[in-house]
This record gives sequence, C-alpha cells and structure tokens, in this order.
Amino acid sequence: MKTIQLKVNGELCALSVEPNETLLEALRDKLDLTGTKRGCDTGACGACTVIMNGEPILSCVTLAVRCHNKEITTIEGLASHGELHPLQQAAIEHNAVQCGFCTPGWLLSAKALLDKNAHPSQEEVRTAIAGNLCRCTGYKKIEEAILAINDHE
Amino acid sequence: MLIPRFNYHKPSTLKEACELKGKFKGKAQLLAGGTDIIPNMKKGVMSPECVISLNGIGELKSNSVGEKNGCTRIGACATISSLIKEKFLLPYNALMTGLESLGSPLIRNMATIGGNLATARPAADLYPPLIAYKGKAILCSVAGKREVSLDDFFLGPGKTILKDDEILVEIILDALPACSGSGYIKLGMRKTLEISLVNVAAVITLDKPDGVIAGARIVMGAVGPIPLRAKTAEKLLLGEKPSKELFAEAGKAATGDSRPIDDFRGSAEYRRDMVKVLTARVLQKALHDIG
Repeated sequence: MKTIQLKVNGELCALSVEPNETLLEALRDKLDLTGTKRGCDTGACGACTVIMNGEPILSCVTLAVRCHNKEITTIEGLASHGELHPLQQAAIEHNAVQCGFCTPGWLLSAKALLDKNAHPSQEEVRTAIAGNLCRCTGYKKIEEAILAINDHE
Repeated sequence: MLIPRFNYHKPSTLKEACELKGKFKGKAQLLAGGTDIIPNMKKGVMSPECVISLNGIGELKSNSVGEKNGCTRIGACATISSLIKEKFLLPYNALMTGLESLGSPLIRNMATIGGNLATARPAADLYPPLIAYKGKAILCSVAGKREVSLDDFFLGPGKTILKDDEILVEIILDALPACSGSGYIKLGMRKTLEISLVNVAAVITLDKPDGVIAGARIVMGAVGPIPLRAKTAEKLLLGEKPSKELFAEAGKAATGDSRPIDDFRGSAEYRRDMVKVLTARVLQKALHDIG
C-alpha cells in the first residue's frame, strides 16, 4: 500500500492505494466519485476521462500512484455551488445527452480545451473530443453544444 | 478488469533506473505513459513481477537542439502531445503527422515517443517517420550508453534490440539536409483511435532547388513484421526529376518491397494495392514539403 496526496475537485485528499490500482478505481471505489465511467477499461473509449494538471487523461489506464501531488478534476467538479457549468447547460440546451454514459468524458475534454482556447474552431472541437466515443448521438449535437459556448462569452 | 499485482519502483534518476533494470532484468517492466502496458496487463497479456516507472526522471522528458550541428535530441519519455507543440520539430513534417495520428488526444497526453518504439507494433505510427529521417536511439544501462540506428531497432512484433537490462533514453534526429521534404500517410477506417491498415513515410532530398532526387527513404508500416524500407522504389527515384509519373512508378515498385499478410483489418492484396497508392501520394506530399 502506498499513500498518495492529491487534490480532487479542489479538495485535498490522502488515499491509501495499491500499485496496481488505477485512478479510475480510486475515484469510483475509494472517493465514491462515480461520475467518471468505466467504459472499455482499456483506454480506447474516453468514458473515464478526467483532467489531471490541466490535461485530459484516461483514468482507467493511469495508475493511482502516479497521481501523487497532482490536481484532478472529475465531472463532479464541473458545476460549482449548485450551478451548472456553461458546458453542462449547453449540453442540455442542445440535446447533446442521450444515454449519458459518454457525457462526463466529453464534457471534461471540452472543458480542458476551453480552458486553453476560449474560442475553438469546429475543427479544434472535433479534435478535442475525438477520444470520446459516443454510441447514441452521432456527435453533431455534442459539437454544437461546445461551439455554443462561444456565444455565452 | 484488474491489473495483476506487481512490485512498484519509481526511481528519481536515470542511474537508479538502470540499476533497478540491471538487477531485475526481464522480470521488470519499464513504464512511461502506460497506454499500451496497462491495457495489456488488464488483458492478461503481461504480468511482470515488478514495474519500474520512468515518470520521475526529468532528463527523460527533456528535448534539445544542438547548436553546432542542429541535431535534435528527444527524451524518450516526452509525451506525444508535448512533442506536437515543440516548434523545433515542425520541419520534420512526417514525424509531426505521425505524432498527430497516434491514438486519440487523450492517449497522446500520456503516451510517449519511447513507448511507441519500445512496444514495437508493426503498425506503429512513429517508426516509419523516424526511420525515414535516419533516426538513432540512445540506450542506457549500468554498463553505459550506446547508440543504435532505428533501422536496426525493431526486430519483430513486440521485440526490439533493447537488452533486458537496457532503457531507451533518447531519440536523435539529424538536421534535415537542404532541399529536403517529408510526409507521412496513415490509412485506416477512421481518423482517430485507429491502428494503421497501411502507413508510409517518405523523406526526399533534391540535389538543388527544382533539381533531381539525390536522396530518398521510403518506410512502410503494417505491411510486414517490421517497418520495411521500399528500397526498390528508392533506387528508382535517385537521379530523376520528380514527377507524378515517377512517383506512380515508385508506388508500383514499393508494392514489391512490402510483405503484408491477411488479417482482420484487411487482406494482403488490398494492402499491396494501398502501398502503391500511398507511396505515390506520400512522395507528392514530401515534394510539396520542400517547396
């Protein structure tokens, strides 16, 4: 067992983790943050996306021990003080959510993009969410929701 | 899926890492990005006794360009995303395209250039460009460092020239000769999260602006157990003025240099056809890159 200290959604946590434990397991099973989903569990679908030190990563293929002294944002960290993040609001307004399983993943990929580039082009949005697979929507409304953020500014 | 248990080491210096690898040899798995190793451990393909993380070693993530000779040194643990942002890599068009084609943006934030080389998959995106540029690798062990040409690095699927006590630490690219251009094309069903059906990289050098081809290296991936040079195609190009017809001929010749197999992604016959098309196209790309 190793103890790691990390910030999750702004809160400092200390966790005891095994070397073979993934960040996804630590988030879901130890911190009860089940918003991050286990899809393919092998890094190919993006459902497990979280933001680590500003970069969107795949928590299912990241060892928890790697996250010592890192800052993690999960989907639970998007809304603040009970108010939806503009991305979440846009997702609702643009009907970009069907079953919802891919949603936390692409919302975080989009947040990471917007944090670096407040006015992305359609191409840049498509590239940013390319690692988040969706079986329901056909991606068009997801793209529209993210591009709509430009209008909110 | 559960990852099998292992003993975990996170050395903070290269010296420490080499000592650990020297001690445990084949029983230790080196870990950088983990985008290939972790899934493989979950699937039961690998179950190492111990894992040595390279992520705490700063020098493995640093890159530099030599002032005198302009040669570029890339740290083996540099992530794909970080390399895409490096301005000094812009002239290496084929490598940039290869980096941008790898996996997905999420995978690119974690995967490393060294990892793509060490995993040695025949369809790997970075081998064809790096071999086309005559890239070299620096390997390190407690015995010291040695330099190998990437031409000799990939021995077979999953197998490299790395000895079981060695760590890949650096990739070196020489400065591009004048009047050189390069390109890389990856063929797959989709633009992201794709494993190449066929990929081809080419570097061509003219003897002078609008001159004849003085140097050509064409490297094909996913059409053999290792990345293959299209040597017949290369010979055909030397001394000739670039043209669509010449490139088409080179494409046909490259077909003969490829050794594809039938697999679930495609047939050998289709891959040979695509080698012909992609070689001609990538040569055009490389020519355009010179201009």
